[in-house]
Amino acid sequence: MQLLIENVSKRYGSNTWALRNFSLQLGTGVLGLLGPNGAGKTTLMSILATITRASEGKITWNGTDVAAHPDALRAVLGYLPQDFGVYPNLNAVEFLEYLAAVKGLDGPSSRRRIDELLDLVNLTDVQKRPLGSFSGGMRQRVGIAQALLNDPQLLIVDEPTAGLDPEERVRFRNLLSELSGERIVILSTHIVSDVEATATDIALISKGTLVAHASPEGLLRQVEGKVWEWTIPSADLTAARQKYLISNTTRRSDGVHARVLTSEPPVRAVPALPNLEDAYLYCLSTHRAGAAA
Amino acid sequence: MNRAYVLYEMGKADFLERVRRYSFLLTLAGALYLGYSVATEKMWVVIGNRYRGVYNSAWIGAIMAVSCSAFLSLIGFYVVKNSVQRDTETRVGQILAATPMRKSFYALAKTLSNFAVLAFMVVVLMFAALAMQLLHAENRELSIGKLCSPFLLIALPAMAVTSAIAVLFEMLPLLNGGFGNVAYFFVWSSGLAVSAQIKASDPTGIQLLFRSAGAALSKIDPSHQNSFSLTIGGQRAVRTFVWDGFDWTASMVAGRLMWVLIAIGIALLASLFFHRFDPAREFWRKKKADVSVKSPAGETESTNQNARETRPAQLTPLAGRAAKLRFFQIATSELRLMLKGQRWWWYAGAAGILIGSLVSPLTDSRGGWLVAAWIWPVLIWSQMGSRENRYTTQALIFSCERALQRQLPAVWAAGVILSTLTGAGVGVRLLIAADWQGVLAWLAGALFIPSLALAMGVWSGGSKAFEALYTVWWYVGPLHHVPGIDFAGTTAASSNAAAYMLVTTALLATAYVGRRTRLGYA
Repeated sequence: MQLLIENVSKRYGSNTWALRNFSLQLGTGVLGLLGPNGAGKTTLMSILATITRASEGKITWNGTDVAAHPDALRAVLGYLPQDFGVYPNLNAVEFLEYLAAVKGLDGPSSRRRIDELLDLVNLTDVQKRPLGSFSGGMRQRVGIAQALLNDPQLLIVDEPTAGLDPEERVRFRNLLSELSGERIVILSTHIVSDVEATATDIALISKGTLVAHASPEGLLRQVEGKVWEWTIPSADLTAARQKYLISNTTRRSDGVHARVLTSEPPVRAVPALPNLEDAYLYCLSTHRAGAAA
Repeated sequence: MNRAYVLYEMGKADFLERVRRYSFLLTLAGALYLGYSVATEKMWVVIGNRYRGVYNSAWIGAIMAVSCSAFLSLIGFYVVKNSVQRDTETRVGQILAATPMRKSFYALAKTLSNFAVLAFMVVVLMFAALAMQLLHAENRELSIGKLCSPFLLIALPAMAVTSAIAVLFEMLPLLNGGFGNVAYFFVWSSGLAVSAQIKASDPTGIQLLFRSAGAALSKIDPSHQNSFSLTIGGQRAVRTFVWDGFDWTASMVAGRLMWVLIAIGIALLASLFFHRFDPAREFWRKKKADVSVKSPAGETESTNQNARETRPAQLTPLAGRAAKLRFFQIATSELRLMLKGQRWWWYAGAAGILIGSLVSPLTDSRGGWLVAAWIWPVLIWSQMGSRENRYTTQALIFSCERALQRQLPAVWAAGVILSTLTGAGVGVRLLIAADWQGVLAWLAGALFIPSLALAMGVWSGGSKAFEALYTVWWYVGPLHHVPGIDFAGTTAASSNAAAYMLVTTALLATAYVGRRTRLGYA
């Protein structure tokens, strides 16, 4: 099972690039696609989900060119878009039955699958209620269920935990981890903790280009020795922000504890254990500085 | 904050948003073509005993202004009837509702922004009229006042009324959807008919032109017939007369300005029904239009009442995928999707029409009940091809395997099932009577309607275009049994099954190409 993305670019208009020369090779596991707003994550997701055609480059699924044969990928694809709607007059079962039919699933096995999925996303009790009366989080769970309808080999989920309560968020993260053993899962998000909990690989994207592709451990190694905790008076915080990249601050009785990302630590700063958020911010910052130079 | 400034900014935002849409350009092109056709005698205005005015500034200005005000008061309504809806869908409305803005101010601002869009088209046509006079060359003597005054005093007040009615329709719960789109045509056409009947002033200014030109004509031909028509393909004018334009008396100007005051009154009336985007009061509308999940700004769900411990996912692997195209299953799903949510009275009405068509004499059944049967589901057909766009389900559906080959034909099949079911009474009667030509015409109609709906839905991305065009077509064609445009074949004389079969094929091809283009992939 392999998804190969080779030099994929997406151009809007004559000179606006949402994605540029993006390359990645994916096998089974969860790829966490991290990046700031407007980085090109959703564009990449749309291209991979065969909703949008790439302006340049090539995507192959198990050796098949997706642009030439999109149905080869669509047949094994589960897609949860960032923004999607539901039909308000249908209930959850009817909506999933409809999508199962469109996906080409046969009646009896899709019905069993729908029951299991509704149970999995904790909607069994409300399965007969019209979707128009569902909250945003409940609709999001319907979206998660539809993405799993056809037992996809490639599961693409774009900002899947937005709107979910903490418990449902944990359930969904666990679900992704369990599913990833036998399929490729691409999780696009800007919530670092979601990626931290589930991803076996991380791709950082900024301004349409790939900044880094590594395992979570590999990314953390990049910031080893570069994370410091520095206690400063509150009044000095603004000046500190101008001089250093600060990933977090906590106010305590002895002042502000700032988490500083730098290879040249300030005086009296003590080393801290890096986390993925530090790595994410450091990589993006380094990339921006490199691009500016 | 300065109210005029707020009004200006709101109007500007709405104006820019809409003039950048294809629907605006298409309508403008249509209005320009209409004006061009009238001024170059592709369509002709005939008055009295086959007279027309000499193409001087007054005549060109007047006929272009009147035809543009008649055209834009109908089509323009559909172009501008979306400003409140857009504020609801984009949630900008909730931001506005949280400001000190008064309801009457909002209604007036929306009317003004509608007016700006329509007035822009009028101004473009005014310049086109200037070009037309020079192009026509029958009388090159330019009189800017005579050319422009009909646009300013006839067309613009008509646009003000249209703008205000659009806001009123958007704020009335019953009229803000598809039903309002259909109903407006009848409001518009009956308004014109009534004013023609009682010779009263109307917002489009047709009666004003008729009276003024008629008076001028009476001076040179006292026997002139009291008639006025805008014709395509009818009798051309064979005589000309010189009309020097409107003699704008104070009372005439006041009469036209009265329509602006009426427009303001309609806007203020509309504000009485405006609920400031209160989600509780627009629950039913929310069910229809606001059901998308927006990440990451979507609300966070409250704590689950039925919270359970997290446990491993247990999913039975699928036994297998459907080996062949399960067309019937998808078509049934599409039909269920179409009918789900229809109220009891809709089914009662459809059943009543069906029974009526079964028990009435065949001519009444075909010429009357079938006409009713094929307007009854208009709001269901109008969802075809655009439902995915309206409910933001494109990404879910179009990323499915063979979505183009599976889903699009299934939507069409569901629409055909609907047209055959609602018109079944007439179909059965024709079969019993062994009227094979009638059966063929009925079948052509049953296939044509969903094909038109699908093609227009796919290409326009909304339901409004079909609702407007189909209602007009239904009114002019089947209801009046006009040969050539009677797609339902309501009489033997007016039916043309072969032509509509051909048109159906072309429409299906158009829908396929449109969806294929939108998918980006095939």
